[in-house]
Amino acid sequence: MNEKLREAFGQVQAGDGLKAKTKDYIAEKTRGYTRAGHIRYRHLAAALVCVAVFFIGGNWLYFTPTVEISIDINPSLELGVNRYNRIISFESYNDEGQELLDSLDIKFMDYSEAVNKIIEDEDVAALLSDDEIMTIAVVGTDSAQSEEIFAGMQTCIAGRNNMYCYYAHSDEVREAHEVGLSYGKYKAFLEVQALDPDITAGQIKDMSMREIRDLIDSLSDGAEGEADQAEEQPDNGKGYGQKGNGSGKGEKRRRGKTDGW
Amino acid sequence: MRSEQEVNRAVEEYSGMVRRLCMIHLKSYADTEDIFQTVFLKYVLSSVPFESEEHEKAWFIRVTINACKDLLKSFFHKRVISLDEILEKPEEIREEYREVWEAVLSLPPKYREVIYLHYYENYTAPEISRILGKKVNTIYTLLTRSRQMLREKLGGEEYE
Repeated sequence: MNEKLREAFGQVQAGDGLKAKTKDYIAEKTRGYTRAGHIRYRHLAAALVCVAVFFIGGNWLYFTPTVEISIDINPSLELGVNRYNRIISFESYNDEGQELLDSLDIKFMDYSEAVNKIIEDEDVAALLSDDEIMTIAVVGTDSAQSEEIFAGMQTCIAGRNNMYCYYAHSDEVREAHEVGLSYGKYKAFLEVQALDPDITAGQIKDMSMREIRDLIDSLSDGAEGEADQAEEQPDNGKGYGQKGNGSGKGEKRRRGKTDGW
Repeated sequence: MRSEQEVNRAVEEYSGMVRRLCMIHLKSYADTEDIFQTVFLKYVLSSVPFESEEHEKAWFIRVTINACKDLLKSFFHKRVISLDEILEKPEEIREEYREVWEAVLSLPPKYREVIYLHYYENYTAPEISRILGKKVNTIYTLLTRSRQMLREKLGGEEYE
């Protein structure tokens, strides 16, 4: 049996075609026996590129603001909100704004939580009860997210006094930062400028929203000979601003950085 | 990476053995080509230093058997092909040996391996046990049983 088996197995040989095909395959796979290492490195490089794309893409997705919320009283600040409704950047446009930002820890916080924290801040509450005006401008690109945030802001200010919320398209206020104003203040500046083209951004910069509002009212009075201060809206754009409609918090004046306003 | 000369030498030296191991395990000629490519690509990329020719040969046996088993395990290869199809390979097996091949291929794969390694490659049971990673006694048992089964299938004094 041994011999018969050996002979039978010996019948099977690898044909020249199979050998040649295998040699060609190896040569092709190793790029002519030069790039064996590259076979592994190529996979490694591809994997690294994937990881890099994932991280860069993830970073970009997370750290790109899609909506800006501009909050102005006289502390003037802007919050950058990413697509996941988190605060990823904030910037102040005056010293009061910087002081306010320094006292709050709102980074990566949900935007409504952050705005609530700002509204409930002691200094801000004092200013509002001092008859100052707070405007919250939601600046976006008409996306579903900006609408959602605008609705969120309206909910935020509902029942509160001296607070206005409005929406602005980012194109409308594109030049705000070039003239050193926050989006919200720039929107008000546009309103002032429409009534009096001689007024410059520099003059507006240090005015509180209450002062700007009063200026608009007096200019309107001069231009039209009538005033309707109670129902004035700081918005002359899309027309869907909303005034806070709650009760006042008293007339207690505070001392400190608001003196001189 | 190994050189072209080394690969060419290995192809010439071991392709017959690889081909027969494929024949023992696989169901189609196309699969055999796949195994050749897998085994020799592994060889060219492998940096395993071989102590001797025997070591290298044993490496080829081990890698080929594993490659065949991996291929058979994959879903797309779990299809049944009759014995006739297996034997209808490009290289003709002479009629007088067909019966022997059919008998060998009718055995379960674990018997085919030891029969081939023992009767054709002249490995002893301890050597086979080292190559296949099985106990020596298991190899003895497999050899004894496979001999019995072949006798039953082929019959006659010729296979005693």
